[in-house]
Amino acid sequence: MKLVIERAALLKSLGHVQSVVERRNTIPILSNVRIDAAKGKLSLHATDMDIEIAETTVADVGKAGATTAPAHTFYEIVRKLPEGSQVEISSSGDGGQVTLSAARSRFNLACLPVDDFPAMAGGELTHSFSFGAADLRALIDRTKFAISTEETRYYLNGIYLHAAKSDGGAVIRAVATDGHRLARVEAPLPQGAAGMPGVIVPRKTVAELRRLIEEADGDISISLSDAKIKFAFDNLVLTSKLIDGTFPDYERVIPAGNDKVMEADRKAMFDAVDRVSAISTEKSRSIKMACDKGTVTLSASSPEAGSAIEEIEASYGAGQLEIGFNSRYLLDILQQIEGDAARFSMSDAASPTIIRDVADASAVYVLMPMRV
Amino acid sequence: MPIRLLPPNLVNQIAAGEVVERPASVVKELIENAIDAGATRIDVVLNDGGKSLIAVTDNGSGMSSRDLEMAVERHATSKLPEDHLDDVGFLGFRGEALPSIGSVARLGITSRTADAESAWHMMVAGGEKKGPVPAPHPRGTRVEVRDLFFATPARLKFLKTSQTELAYAADAVERHAMAHPGISFTLSADGKSRLNLSAGLLQGDLFDAHLERLSAILGKEFGANAVPVAAERDGFKLYGYVGLPTLNRANAMAQYLFVNGRPVKDRLLHGAVRAAYQDFLAPNRHPYVAIFLDVPRREVDVNVHPAKAEVRFRDAGLVRGLIIGAIRHALAEAGHRASTTVAGAALGALRPGGGGASRPLFAPRAAQAFGAAVAMQAPLEGVAEEAALFQAEPSAAPSAPELPAADFPLGVARAQVHETYVVAQTADGIVIVDQHAAHERILYERMKDAMGGEGVKRQILLIPEVVELGEAPAERLLARAGELADLGLVVEAFGSGTVAVREVPALIGDGDVAGLVRDLADELAAWDETLSLKDRLGDICGTLACHTSIRAGRRLNPAEMNALLRQMESTPHAGQCNHGRPTYVELKLSDIERLFGRK
Repeated sequence: MKLVIERAALLKSLGHVQSVVERRNTIPILSNVRIDAAKGKLSLHATDMDIEIAETTVADVGKAGATTAPAHTFYEIVRKLPEGSQVEISSSGDGGQVTLSAARSRFNLACLPVDDFPAMAGGELTHSFSFGAADLRALIDRTKFAISTEETRYYLNGIYLHAAKSDGGAVIRAVATDGHRLARVEAPLPQGAAGMPGVIVPRKTVAELRRLIEEADGDISISLSDAKIKFAFDNLVLTSKLIDGTFPDYERVIPAGNDKVMEADRKAMFDAVDRVSAISTEKSRSIKMACDKGTVTLSASSPEAGSAIEEIEASYGAGQLEIGFNSRYLLDILQQIEGDAARFSMSDAASPTIIRDVADASAVYVLMPMRV
Repeated sequence: MPIRLLPPNLVNQIAAGEVVERPASVVKELIENAIDAGATRIDVVLNDGGKSLIAVTDNGSGMSSRDLEMAVERHATSKLPEDHLDDVGFLGFRGEALPSIGSVARLGITSRTADAESAWHMMVAGGEKKGPVPAPHPRGTRVEVRDLFFATPARLKFLKTSQTELAYAADAVERHAMAHPGISFTLSADGKSRLNLSAGLLQGDLFDAHLERLSAILGKEFGANAVPVAAERDGFKLYGYVGLPTLNRANAMAQYLFVNGRPVKDRLLHGAVRAAYQDFLAPNRHPYVAIFLDVPRREVDVNVHPAKAEVRFRDAGLVRGLIIGAIRHALAEAGHRASTTVAGAALGALRPGGGGASRPLFAPRAAQAFGAAVAMQAPLEGVAEEAALFQAEPSAAPSAPELPAADFPLGVARAQVHETYVVAQTADGIVIVDQHAAHERILYERMKDAMGGEGVKRQILLIPEVVELGEAPAERLLARAGELADLGLVVEAFGSGTVAVREVPALIGDGDVAGLVRDLADELAAWDETLSLKDRLGDICGTLACHTSIRAGRRLNPAEMNALLRQMESTPHAGQCNHGRPTYVELKLSDIERLFGRK
């Protein structure tokens, strides 16, 4: 194998694939990235057995071939090569070593046989559709904060993606919850997604995907079955296994009859919660929210640091209500709201509270109060 | 085959299967008889770990020839005068021991009452009785058991080595000796004396005699590091001694419970002791405890176990509360005492030719090896010297505002060494404080205080966690729901054998709730205690305390050091860290003088 490629192109491509490679591995081949050169193209593959990322770039291929090299070392080297240099990659005849040279630098890396590199098991992807990159970013961004990190409830360790009916229209919905709060965001159902199975996309996949689509602007083509999901765009393909579990019936925990409605300026509320919670030194950072005619009073106290109180204007007409929250959860949700105003629909101090963006009906957040 | 009544000897052998398990059980039964007979001196002789001979001699009331004949009959006893099983005032009462032993071994009893003209001797071998015949013997009873299990060879095969059987038998003697400091005990095995405990000086305080007896058995360290416990509630009287947390061991062997003078092995005790020591010991370390419980006879059922190793309380909750409360109270009062073993170990390490002598021999070699392996990075010379200068200056004795050392138990800070330890001078010695451990403990106690004051904050769950436990565990857990709610965990019944967790302590956050609930259910089954929730909260507080406390390596100025000492004095349990290690060591001036050979 022999090829020449511009450093910037190689670095970008390597940067995309290498982050899926775990720092520590018990199977040596998983530390490596697979390098294929053929017909004027260089393609790189990396996997952790659950997620596979592949990217193809244009390169000047002298001799076709394939090998694998340690991903993190490879990436570090390319990162440190001088800008604008041409990198030559060649492998020895027996495939035992790969040589990297650029300008006056020369690196020899030990390789592992390309045949050992695991390929993700096949399986038919039953549904395919394309989805706008911006829409996908919006779905992920507004739900991923609520993904659980608790391993025993593995079925909560991801975003639940499924087709649903909402106000008569067909939508695709992303839902995430950790048992304390829940985020539900929807977008119009794309063509071809009708009848898709509900799937749980693992947390690591969500993070990798979000990083990769940061700059994407076209459509992302998504194919999925009940075991795997594939995202393809530009020259990149990310394939991931799905969480094999049943997502809880989340509709049941979103209350319908919360009639105590309060609306407040999002920014003012966020800042006030942020300020008041500074006093709360404990790990749970609890905060009290007292609603009364036209005002909301936020307060926190701690036996060591003292107490804090802040009043903000709000439109509220129902009877007096005092309710406690974990301030971090509250801030997480307020941060997701892009509009100017947030609407809180409450029932009492021990029932779930619904928080929405007044200007945007596509996202619903549910937060369980704390007893303080 | 028609159903028939079994011959008496077979019945006795069956009973022996339960009562006489090994030589130690014979020793136990005979000692209990001796104690019940009011003996003040009990001598035990064992050969081959009791396999060939067990002889127990006492100076108790003795038996007449008629009693002697009755004694070896089944279900014959003098200890149930009222024919009521709920009012048992003696250690024995089943009337099974002697006939059971007689059915499986060669039993010889010689006994004489105070007013009898001569002693009488009776033999039972494999169930066949001979006697009684007159024999010479002073007042009291001597029971000899030879060739144990000769009549039941199967049982004989199950015996362990003589050494092991001897250890079990010695344990039985020790347990009774602990409960009865007023009785002299001797134990000799194969002609060698193994135990010689003279009766405590009963004219002194009962507590003194007790502690003397306990430390003779549990070791001098226990004597030096035990705190007395005493509590009384509703006619239940608890007394005894518990070890300081800094005196701990890797197993729970050194925990003894006596109910009405009867040594019992009860899971209730271990659970209660764990709960009482929870804040002071790492989960894998166990304290030394010897607790005596005097219970109104009608409140306890001793007839639940053939060897009476277990008892049942009518109100187990009361007993548990009493034990936990009394131990906690005793430890709180002793909060500042770290065990003398710590100071002792420190002195031992210092003394030339003592335990520490091996260290200087080792040190140079270790240092060389270390240097060769690691010293790859040479320091920049000038800078290193400057750094040394910089360090030398502040660690010299600080010119603290001169406070009189005598006013404070932990004295006045004189210096900080290695930026890790504070050295303080007290009225009669010096105190070395581990600054990190001490500060961590102070913060931990403060956090616990705060939690106790305003209650545990609870996060209500959006999706209740449903945990399947099984019928009995779920019931046990739900029975303690109130206590769990106080700790922040709200559980409800959810169909048969299943509980739903509605609220969790906010501190736990997004943790493994199902695992926690299962642990709690297991603990309720094993010890009747809900330790893991407290453990979990304690762990989180401990971690927080660890992260927010000053670390080793932080330089403290004299005012800070003194403030730390004053806070330690005002904080309960400041003498040990959360894992039972001491936070400070005190060396008395007399100890130091000894080191230099001045005394």
